[in-house]
Amino acid sequence: MLVSPVEPAQAPLLARPYYRAEGTSPIVSSLAHVPEALEVTMPFVSVVLGPSAIDARAKELVIVRTSVLLECRYCVQTHCAAALDSGVTIAEVRALRSTRAPLEGWEREDERALLAWVDAVANGRGEVPADVGEQLRAHYSDPEVVELTLLCAATIMLNRYCTALALPSSAPTLERLAREGLS
Amino acid sequence: MNVAEAIDDGRIGGRLWLYANYHCNLRCSYCLTESAPGVARRVLAPETMLRRAREARELGFSGLGVTGGEPFLLDWMPELIAELARVLPVIVLSNGTLFTGRRLAALEPLAGLPVQIQISLDRPEPEPNDAMRGPENFAKVVAAIPRLVERGIGVRVATTLAEPSTYDPAERERLCALHRALGVGDEDHVVRPIVRRGRAHSGDLGVSAGFEELEPELTLTADGAFASPFGPTVHGGRLDTDLLVTRTTAPLSVPAGTLARLVGNGTAGRDARLGIR
Repeated sequence: MLVSPVEPAQAPLLARPYYRAEGTSPIVSSLAHVPEALEVTMPFVSVVLGPSAIDARAKELVIVRTSVLLECRYCVQTHCAAALDSGVTIAEVRALRSTRAPLEGWEREDERALLAWVDAVANGRGEVPADVGEQLRAHYSDPEVVELTLLCAATIMLNRYCTALALPSSAPTLERLAREGLS
Repeated sequence: MNVAEAIDDGRIGGRLWLYANYHCNLRCSYCLTESAPGVARRVLAPETMLRRAREARELGFSGLGVTGGEPFLLDWMPELIAELARVLPVIVLSNGTLFTGRRLAALEPLAGLPVQIQISLDRPEPEPNDAMRGPENFAKVVAAIPRLVERGIGVRVATTLAEPSTYDPAERERLCALHRALGVGDEDHVVRPIVRRGRAHSGDLGVSAGFEELEPELTLTADGAFASPFGPTVHGGRLDTDLLVTRTTAPLSVPAGTLARLVGNGTAGRDARLGIR
């Protein structure tokens, strides 16, 4: 880790609510160096990545795929475990972790459109091809498109933050991935 | 929450504290900031302090406190104090050992301004005083105080003790007789406990005090804004952040508003239990 994590006893006043007795994520313990940034970032991340009107499976597809394309070790490891919990299969996780784009052989049409959108947003530069957007719009409403796009963009931000600071994955996450053959 | 309201209601203190620096010519055994000659200086620039002071006045603060380190190690400090005092009344905390010759002369323009120099004097006799604060500290302080008083500069005496509640009354009377003889009245003598932070923590001295025990007083340092002047302490060479409010110090409304929000509807005068001021 590039910066030292702020240990619980040193947690600033604004950061204290984000510390957990069972362990605190390195995103929190690093952001705690700048508590006013932590105080807005964590609620933002919680709203965008957490439970919402979009089902958890679709959100984890976006997060894992984005993180794979951005080559963020921390986010890939953390969200592969979360994806399994949201109903994504081990085989699907393996497919998401492939750096080939577009994904081949994905069963659900709506998810194929979603993953094509993620690949275009996260893996490209400049304008996103109109046909990819139109395919997405065929399956998702305007609010859903906005939310999924914001999720992809927020994941990119987190990917670069976690990668640049070399945040370590937790031992339970690594153990889980090892058990599932996803190390 | 409105900062002026929080100050008026006593939920946050009316004095804005400014940590001018962290280095010091002494190495006191209970120093909160582990100050000493060779430490990182963490200096707040004078123009920064002056800008924040002006903002503080606009926000409803009623006074300024300048501390360190030893602020008067900074050559520009007397001139800055005079400028700050034209904005708000100022208390400057000092060990009082530097007020001779050129440095003493530089203080003369402070006469008549709303400035008090708060000088540490812990014991009425040299030996126990100097055991905590260093060789010849007592002699230098008792020499300096009358020099300041004679020049019309306000002086307060601060006595810091491990256990104020068990302070020997006879010793306290000797100390009070001393500060009175030096020209400082009882109203300008404060007795406070050693706070168990910094070098005091390392030395197993003093009382523990967290956010709930301390009067919330916004405190600016080169490293950010803290909830109390007892917040930006140093332990093992590392700055404590448990009382950090924000890294942002400008505009002052950011940390001031955040502190007011953190305090919320907390009861005014919540530092009464420890009496730490």
